[in-house]
Amino acid sequence: MSFVLGYYVALIAGSTFAAYTGRRTVFLMLFSLTLASFIVGIIGGEGALRFIATAAGLLALAAAVSYCFREFLVAVTKPSLSKELKTAPLTAAFGMFVIFTYAIAGIFAPWIAPYGESEVITQAFAPRDENLLLGADQLGRDIFSRIIFGARNSVGLALLATTLAFLIGAFAGLMAAVKGGWFDNLMGRTADVIMSVPSLIFALLMLSIFGTALWVIVIIVAVIYSPRVFRLTRAVAGNIVVMDYIEAAKLRGEGDWHLIRKEILPNSTAPLIAEFGLEFCFVFLLIAGLSFLGLGIQPPTADWGSMVRENATLISFGDITPLIPAGAIALLTVAVNFVVDWMLFRSSGLKEV
Amino acid sequence: MGDLLGLVLKRLGLGLVTLLVVSILIFFAVELLPGDTAQQILGQGATEETVRALREQLGLDRPMVVRYLDWLSGAIFFDFGVSAISGDPVTASIGPRFANTLFLACYAAVIAVPIAIFLGVLVALFRNTVFDRVANVLTLTSISSPEFFLGYILILYLAVKTSLFPAISSLSEGMTFGELLHRTFLPALTLVLVVTAHMMRMTRAAIINLLSSPYIEMARLKGMPPFKVIVRHALPNAWAPIINVVALNLAYLITGVVLVEVVFVYPGVGQLLVDAVSKRDFPVVQACCLIFAATFILLNLAADVGTILTNPRLRHPK
Amino acid sequence: MSKFKEKDVLLKIRDLRIDGFSDETWVPIIKGVDLTLHRGEVMGLIGESGAGKSTIGAAAMGYARDGTRISSGSIEFDGMELSTATEGERRALRGSRIAYVAQSAAASFNPAHKLIDQHTEAPVHYRIKKRMESQEDAMTLYERLRLPNPSEIGFRYPHQVSGGQLQRAMTAMAMSCRPDLIIFDEPTTALDVTTQIEVLAAIRDIVDQFQTAAIYITHDLAVVAQMADTIKVLLKGEEVEEQTTEKMLDDPQEDYTKSLWAVRSFQRPQKKRPSDGSPPLISVKNIDAAYTGGVKVLDDVSFDIYPGMTVAVVGESGSGKSTTARVITGLLPPSAGEIQFKGQTLPKFYKDRNRDQLRQAQMIYQMADTALNPKVKICDIIGRPAEFYSGLTGPALKQRVDELLDLIELEPAKYYNRYPPELSGGQKQRIGIARALAAEPEFIICDEVTSALDQLVAEGILKLLDRLQQDLGLAYMFITHDLATVRSIADEVVVMQNGKVVEQGPKDEMFQPPHHPYTDLLLSSVPEMDPNWLTTLLEERGVDNIGEAATS
Repeated sequence: MSFVLGYYVALIAGSTFAAYTGRRTVFLMLFSLTLASFIVGIIGGEGALRFIATAAGLLALAAAVSYCFREFLVAVTKPSLSKELKTAPLTAAFGMFVIFTYAIAGIFAPWIAPYGESEVITQAFAPRDENLLLGADQLGRDIFSRIIFGARNSVGLALLATTLAFLIGAFAGLMAAVKGGWFDNLMGRTADVIMSVPSLIFALLMLSIFGTALWVIVIIVAVIYSPRVFRLTRAVAGNIVVMDYIEAAKLRGEGDWHLIRKEILPNSTAPLIAEFGLEFCFVFLLIAGLSFLGLGIQPPTADWGSMVRENATLISFGDITPLIPAGAIALLTVAVNFVVDWMLFRSSGLKEV
Repeated sequence: MGDLLGLVLKRLGLGLVTLLVVSILIFFAVELLPGDTAQQILGQGATEETVRALREQLGLDRPMVVRYLDWLSGAIFFDFGVSAISGDPVTASIGPRFANTLFLACYAAVIAVPIAIFLGVLVALFRNTVFDRVANVLTLTSISSPEFFLGYILILYLAVKTSLFPAISSLSEGMTFGELLHRTFLPALTLVLVVTAHMMRMTRAAIINLLSSPYIEMARLKGMPPFKVIVRHALPNAWAPIINVVALNLAYLITGVVLVEVVFVYPGVGQLLVDAVSKRDFPVVQACCLIFAATFILLNLAADVGTILTNPRLRHPK
Repeated sequence: MSKFKEKDVLLKIRDLRIDGFSDETWVPIIKGVDLTLHRGEVMGLIGESGAGKSTIGAAAMGYARDGTRISSGSIEFDGMELSTATEGERRALRGSRIAYVAQSAAASFNPAHKLIDQHTEAPVHYRIKKRMESQEDAMTLYERLRLPNPSEIGFRYPHQVSGGQLQRAMTAMAMSCRPDLIIFDEPTTALDVTTQIEVLAAIRDIVDQFQTAAIYITHDLAVVAQMADTIKVLLKGEEVEEQTTEKMLDDPQEDYTKSLWAVRSFQRPQKKRPSDGSPPLISVKNIDAAYTGGVKVLDDVSFDIYPGMTVAVVGESGSGKSTTARVITGLLPPSAGEIQFKGQTLPKFYKDRNRDQLRQAQMIYQMADTALNPKVKICDIIGRPAEFYSGLTGPALKQRVDELLDLIELEPAKYYNRYPPELSGGQKQRIGIARALAAEPEFIICDEVTSALDQLVAEGILKLLDRLQQDLGLAYMFITHDLATVRSIADEVVVMQNGKVVEQGPKDEMFQPPHHPYTDLLLSSVPEMDPNWLTTLLEERGVDNIGEAATS
């Protein structure tokens, strides 16, 4: 009961303060939360109220962290960059913060994780305690440690595949735009064919044939996603190739390589970087899906997709543990998408596809 | 009118060629394997003799091209040969499962498409308001989540904790339609969540893209209220991109279904494919892939034709 | 202004200030403009790009475009204050009492609906007329505006109707509710001269007939002289002066206005072909050309360009003048005929030409924005040809770039390290010229180089090109649709229509009768500063013998 009282007192005091100091949006948010809490509290009782309070608290915390992180970035970067960063919405700042955290976790995994990646330390499905933050998995390994190592494996693999897809696709796209003619047509048709098979199905087919070695996964995923990069690069470069300055350079007698490097690339970096982010999300989700189906990264390597599958049975006992690696995947993808969304909005030359 | 028909026919022809190339790809990729189906069936321990005998029995001693043509002509009449593991005809196991998969995809589509377009138009109308921002964050989150994440959350909250719906969507003979809808609600909802978010965003983008056109400004300067501007002036020109979005997402449903079927143990083609892949049962893998690819190509084709048919310039030639 | 009585004031704008959003802040773009318009009065708003004429036009409807906001001032329309009215009240005026005619009718008609459905939209929405009544009315208006097949044309889609006809249909649409005021926002800028004239005649007629007040926005003095009772000159968001049309033309008060008038006076002496029988620098011989799979766009085109001379190629859009340039540079290989340089036949395709052949034919483009790579520094843009052709590097290259910047009258130290987006339109065009000069050519193709520029700036570019020609002995092929430019800079003129050369010869002969009928039409369709020009022309030719009717 005291929680309910304290909750409402805090909310109303906050709204009053916001209204008094003239912060309209803050006031509206706080007060609508108060009103919503009244209704939910009457229907769902104290439990529902606690849930709302936790959710709102987490949201506020995320917003505060994002805000601080943005201010931090603005403070430490060069003036040209910090001017851009100042315009970033909180969602984008949140995205950057999450990416930053994942990077730290991935790079320093062996130092952060309390146990080894595939170290069996206790019995299967041991419950959580002080030593085992998230309990143990079906073989008695520490789930927390495996999640930390997973950051390195899952994200690293996706990053590798994306980079490769990007190199293939962007190079082909730029060449096709500059060369035109039969080369352009051939590349376009090839991309069409690859894209006309659903990516997950294509990956399953190829993996069933070539096995699931890591390098096989990287190459297959890169081949599957390079047509997307190709199409975008071709479209972006296609808009640049029709410019008069390209015509002037061609008439001067410049070679294709000069055109690509000096004239086209400097004008297409913004959409290409944004596309890299988007592409990463697709690749990451595809690899996670494959792992979830047991056809991606193979045990005992820690990987988020396969961890969900391995511990899925816990769900039927109402345990949320298998949701944590799945949530980790979702959180990173959301984060990247938030940043990309902002970048697309900034460059706005490219509408989302 | 002749132009229009010509364009449509050209698209259809192109789609057919693509399908043919894809079938070649699917068939010959498997041929790249060391060993062949006979070896696969009999395993490493088999003698030369028995392998050769089975090879002859399966017709594997004929040249590759002949076997491809044979396979293709069979596939046209839905005959994909026999499973390498069980020896049963592939079509018999795929047929009913394909119907199940289609049912699930349609179930999701029927809910998702109208909601997505309606909400997409709505957020375009209220662009840059709090409503739009919240929708943006929610849809982005939904797109970014793997299907199995959403699926397990739904299972946790709607099946395990509250038992509103069954966690496992097993189908049985003689179920009423209502029962069927109830059993398959969670997998359908998972698909709806992902697909709606995507379609909504793209509908919004398609409409907002048009809002900077001079004819939209003209409509505003004619005194048309915002709702009329969107519905009468922007929407008719946004059909082409919206049709594309819908087709793309329906195509996505067909593949997204694979993961969802596994999560909910739903007896569809996706499950079958995943099993076949892990057992390396290639006739089944090839058949499933071809069916998925054909559906995918068909939907994209439908989108292209739809785009052509809604283009006023093509529909009313000079 | 005596023609209009004080009590008949329709629109009264006082101290209007409008901000525009750029670089994350609001900057003023209209800085306190007053405007008084009476019933039945036509006011011409004139000024260069960035003067804010269009913004004022929109503000007269109580409308602020995306990225602009009305920050202060009053806009009073027929006694109603628009700046304090609700959005709903303002919206109720638009289309019914204040109508708008946009610059590009082709883009401003919704491609998804028939013309007549767009015409009836406003009257039906405001319940002024029933749909059928409004359709009948549309047909009457179409007839008055002399559109062909007035009873049928409305049932077509916008893409099925030509640009000039669309512009008239849009004027009819603006009239659909019989508004008190129409804003014409550069309605003929996108049209060819021969089409422009019929649109002008139609607009003037209908505004006269219904006694509608109008604000006519344009950058073309000669056009506004035909249309307006009073003219207001704007410069960078501020008023320069306002006078009745006659007074403004005869006796402008302000220096800026005078300079606008003076622009048209630049003319350099005409040169003659050399008489010593030396070969032409560039010789275009019996060229036929077509784009892949398309119809023929050039048909037996021949002309010569002699060293140090300027040949103007004139014609309307679709006449093939730019295509001719593409053939000469080798971007579009001709299907028949050949291009000779000093008597030597050039390879048809540019990739087959050697560096020395490539350097001889340089181009200057119409849109300096797309002609210069925005991500490359000025010194590299100009330096690259010098490095590429002459192999200059290091200090020698820097010296050459400085030299070139001096030639185009831009201070080297100031511009050396800058990027194109930081420059004004005229400066960018100068950089384009410097890039062409860096190749040390004998021949330069100028493709509509002045048509995207304001008059004063264009004047500067023409003078610069003339000086360079004298200093460096360059030959120009000057592609243009603007006969005033031809008068000022050309030595010889080639008139093109539908891919054919209609007539060619020295300038003095070309501007004297007798002409080929098309040349005559082209020459007589160019508006003149005389306010009675249109009236006189219509009397001479008759209303049915102008524009499309005359060209076909």
